[in-house]
Amino acid sequence: MVNRSVAVDLPLQGMRVIDLTWYTSGPFCTRVLADYGADVIKIERVGVGDPARSMPPFQDDEPGLERSGLFMFLNTNKRSVTLNLKDMEGRDILLDLIRGADALVENFSPRILPGLDMDYQSLKAINPRLVVTSISNFGRNGPYRDWNGSDLVLYGMGGPMLNTGSPEREPLKTAGHTPSFQVGAMAATATAIALWGSGANGRGEHVDVSYLETFMGLVDRRTTNLVNYEYAGDISTRPPLANSSGTGIWPTKDGGYFYTTVVAARWAAMARMIGQDGLANDPEWNDPVWRSAPDRIDEFGALVISWMIERTKTEIRAAVEEARVYGAPINTIADVLRDEHLLERRFFQELNHPTTGPLTFPGYNFRITTTIDGEAALPPRLRAPLLGEHTDEILHDDLGLTTDNIEALRVKGVV
Amino acid sequence: MERQATPASPVTSGGLPLDGVRIVDFTVVWAGPFASQILAEWGAEVIRVESTKYFQPSTRGTMAHPPKALIDSGALRGYPDKEPGDRPWNRWAGFSVHSRNKLSMTVDLNTEDGQEALERLIRTSDGLIENNAVASMDRVGVTWERLSKINPELVMVRMPAFGLTGPYRNYRTFGNHMEALVGHYSLFGYAGASPADSGLNIMADPAGGAAGAMAFMAGMLQRRRTGKGVQIEVATADGFANYLGDYVLDYGMNGRLHEYRGNRDSVFAPQGVYPCVGDDRWVSITIGSTDQWKALCGAMNRADLAGDARYQEADGRRRFHDELDAEISAWTSGVDATEVMNSLQGLGVPAGVVMNEADAYGDPHLNARGYWEELEHPEAGTHRYPGVVWKAEETPNRLRRAAPRLGEDNEYVYRDLLRYTDDEYRRLEGLGHIGMDYDPSIP
Repeated sequence: MVNRSVAVDLPLQGMRVIDLTWYTSGPFCTRVLADYGADVIKIERVGVGDPARSMPPFQDDEPGLERSGLFMFLNTNKRSVTLNLKDMEGRDILLDLIRGADALVENFSPRILPGLDMDYQSLKAINPRLVVTSISNFGRNGPYRDWNGSDLVLYGMGGPMLNTGSPEREPLKTAGHTPSFQVGAMAATATAIALWGSGANGRGEHVDVSYLETFMGLVDRRTTNLVNYEYAGDISTRPPLANSSGTGIWPTKDGGYFYTTVVAARWAAMARMIGQDGLANDPEWNDPVWRSAPDRIDEFGALVISWMIERTKTEIRAAVEEARVYGAPINTIADVLRDEHLLERRFFQELNHPTTGPLTFPGYNFRITTTIDGEAALPPRLRAPLLGEHTDEILHDDLGLTTDNIEALRVKGVV
Repeated sequence: MERQATPASPVTSGGLPLDGVRIVDFTVVWAGPFASQILAEWGAEVIRVESTKYFQPSTRGTMAHPPKALIDSGALRGYPDKEPGDRPWNRWAGFSVHSRNKLSMTVDLNTEDGQEALERLIRTSDGLIENNAVASMDRVGVTWERLSKINPELVMVRMPAFGLTGPYRNYRTFGNHMEALVGHYSLFGYAGASPADSGLNIMADPAGGAAGAMAFMAGMLQRRRTGKGVQIEVATADGFANYLGDYVLDYGMNGRLHEYRGNRDSVFAPQGVYPCVGDDRWVSITIGSTDQWKALCGAMNRADLAGDARYQEADGRRRFHDELDAEISAWTSGVDATEVMNSLQGLGVPAGVVMNEADAYGDPHLNARGYWEELEHPEAGTHRYPGVVWKAEETPNRLRRAAPRLGEDNEYVYRDLLRYTDDEYRRLEGLGHIGMDYDPSIP
């Protein structure tokens, strides 16, 4: 049995979160809350669990409820209880858990909880200090409320997708589930702020986080471009990456690529970095307007390439840091796992799982490094729960059910 | 902590959860300001600490005094009516959106007077948030060792790109470079193309912003329990590595390094971005089930595709993805993007216009939700801005004030909050600490 009451001082310690999330955004939200000490009880469907258990990647590419890397990544530090919410007894168990909880997070479509007679007003009636965080595609009202979505569709509508990719091609989405994870991260922040409020005044809250508005509010170009349109009427495009002298993605000696972005104040430093002191001191080249002509961009780009191609990504990274030019190597996941900085900081964590054996996981989003009493230790991470692994433990310890009670519920398919 | 009767803030926040929480804000560019934007949105009094003697590029614009030629050529954007005005730093779109609801003070921290003002400010604040290179903060005395002695209840959030320790601690990058370093640029791109074709993507900044605000709240919740301050480190680059967690696991489980696959998905097929009538008009479509596939075929009036045995399951649709993309594109190319979205969504098929700014401001759903909000700014005029990021049923929330002009709240901060006398205030003004203009020598 996993003991959650470890003597590690974490910010959300003592707070209980009922986790009615599935797929990606909701579980990322509760992962963050669990990472910082909340006791997250993940409610899963009997027999099948969170659909993310059936989503790739799988150990040895072989599907199985305890073989999904996506699920294992998203659900560390949580406990799993299986419940049939369509059964009255299952529903009552959930309501009993909610009575003692600080927060409930869900990412069903907006009609589901009201359909189970668990709309916010009903939950508030049984627990007036409860924070309910609802994540949905388009929010809890409005004409698109019941529309369907996907990461691609929603990021394309709300986010800066029109500005991502090649000007010659269709707009391009960011990798994998990154849009959903951003929604989850925002929902965790929203939950924490609401918990702060409910802790002060004893009143609960219903937080409405939507994919569409999260993406519409992204500081990554979107909000600036929106306001620029409001200010000056410009519709934004996909600008070419190499839109100023020295900005681009360049081939390196070791077969990879290196990405530099040059701001006006660091252009001369970049010219010196690549051995072009003459250009660095040339008044014409120091004029940002003059050097932004396409021919000048190409001319300087050729000089950058001839310098880059003779150096490894590691050498170039050290040089850009020294010159205070903005840039970084295009790394693969394999490169990242052996990056000297992340290794020295012990960012990655190894976890054992009964199906897979030890695997490497990314570490904490942020770290409490220092308290007034001294250095804080990095908390350990607990592997994702097996389906229903903690059903007996929680029904017994928290709700006082006997082994016989639980067995009877199991026979009826309630747990 | 020394607390006196609280003077009235220029940005009122009664009723919001973070009402009464004061944050000293040293954030720059995007990730840090986004974190403090969220905290200000929910009621914190966020005081930006700025300097008239130093201009941080990409925060209040690319340049303090941008040449009109660069604005006319389109190289520099973001000014109302494409006019930089007398004080361009107060009129720039990027700043005006993430710094709404915040206050601005100016001070030169490279002097003893500046350090005295900083100490007074720390004494009267709950938290501090910053995202600078570690060495830059060390140089102006913004360290936990020092500030926690001045205010032992301080919640201090540090957001250097690579953290407070390790070989890259002083390495400066933007979000796109953080993403390159932690692997993102190896994972999104057009099939078979170079990473340069992926263009610009800077999601590490919003990711860092969400994490920074969360870190601050974690610190506050910890302080509520223990009564003690805490330093929290948000290494924005490390944090973004979490967004690639399933790829890290796939590498560990199967040794797989993914190749670019454009907008296609590992489960759903077909999925893509398809051209519509007009210039740079696109619609995204995801087919998540056989029912949705049949509905799409119905909308395309293609009973032949709906009945084709090869396309009944996602595996088959994935095998013939190129052919299906050609069929879908042939249909969408003749239709308006909004019409494709509305008709497919009416059939339960996930579809959406790849919205440009005009689509977004005119979108019926966002307008019905009251998303856009108007703010009046004394130098930028009256405009509609993206609204509060999420809604709260018990706590209706609106934007409260336009982004502060440089030094706009010096009077409030120095006189009301830090209790400087009139003589002292005028002396600091004379020394260039207090002001509303950048030094003219700054380009």
